[in-house]
Amino acid sequence: MTLPIVHHAPDIDRVRANTEPAINERIDRASQYRLQVQSGESAAAITQHIAKLDREWDVERLIELESSTMGLTGLVLSVLISPKFLFLPGVVSTMVLLHAVQGWYPLLPIFRRLGLRSQNEIDRERFGMKALRGDLATIPSGEAVERARAAWQAVSL
Amino acid sequence: MSVTEVLQSPDRVRAHTAREINERIDQDTQLCLERLADKSKEEITEHLHELSREWDMERRLQANASLLALSGVILGATASKKWLTVPAVVFSFFLQHSLQGWCPPVPIFRRFGARTSKEIHREKYALKALRGDFDHLATTPSGK
Repeated sequence: MTLPIVHHAPDIDRVRANTEPAINERIDRASQYRLQVQSGESAAAITQHIAKLDREWDVERLIELESSTMGLTGLVLSVLISPKFLFLPGVVSTMVLLHAVQGWYPLLPIFRRLGLRSQNEIDRERFGMKALRGDLATIPSGEAVERARAAWQAVSL
Repeated sequence: MSVTEVLQSPDRVRAHTAREINERIDQDTQLCLERLADKSKEEITEHLHELSREWDMERRLQANASLLALSGVILGATASKKWLTVPAVVFSFFLQHSLQGWCPPVPIFRRFGARTSKEIHREKYALKALRGDFDHLATTPSGK
């Protein structure tokens, strides 16, 4: 069975752009598999799966947790042991800046291998699930305002 | 959207934003959808490209926090150790943000209209629906 929703989203995703294609593909395949499994399930089961996706940690959140912990550790060590430890918060903040601007981050390859996804990828699966549940196929033809309202309702959080 | 809905929202930044600010951001998105609803597919596609370039809240916070922390570390190493309080405060709030979804710049950025990635994607998929990307799904059996 083909799942059309997953195929057209050529986004500028800075996390994907800085990940090996093979890892991106593995993450995509896992997502497609879950869509395939859920396509045979009831609307209630899909709703449950969407709630799970809503709680999933994206890669940005993990980078924020990891970098701030490393930075704080470096600061504490620099005060307690040696000022040389200041290189740690120095490097960490430089890397976060690089990640914000360009997308690469030293731990990104590891996080990606562990299966951490960008919010883009999570939301793609999420709206794929919503499409399977029948949420997205209900935009009526008519006035622009009504169509816009229907589209807004269809993608409600 | 009621207060409880905001609090139960799966979006941690929305949950920590004043209700009227969330509503204003949603209204802006809805206005944009209304403006584009009867436009051609090409115009919608163009707007989708714009959306994929929009800086979301996390990205802005990362740039902001790393610049502040880096300046503090450099000043702490060269000028006075007292400057190290800057990266200490910044990293602590950044840690809090990752866990809880709030840090001091959040309300400021929200007031300037910074959206979360989930909000941006919501607009994106609404536009895709308006463009007719999901029309072929209407013929498949649904409501299982």
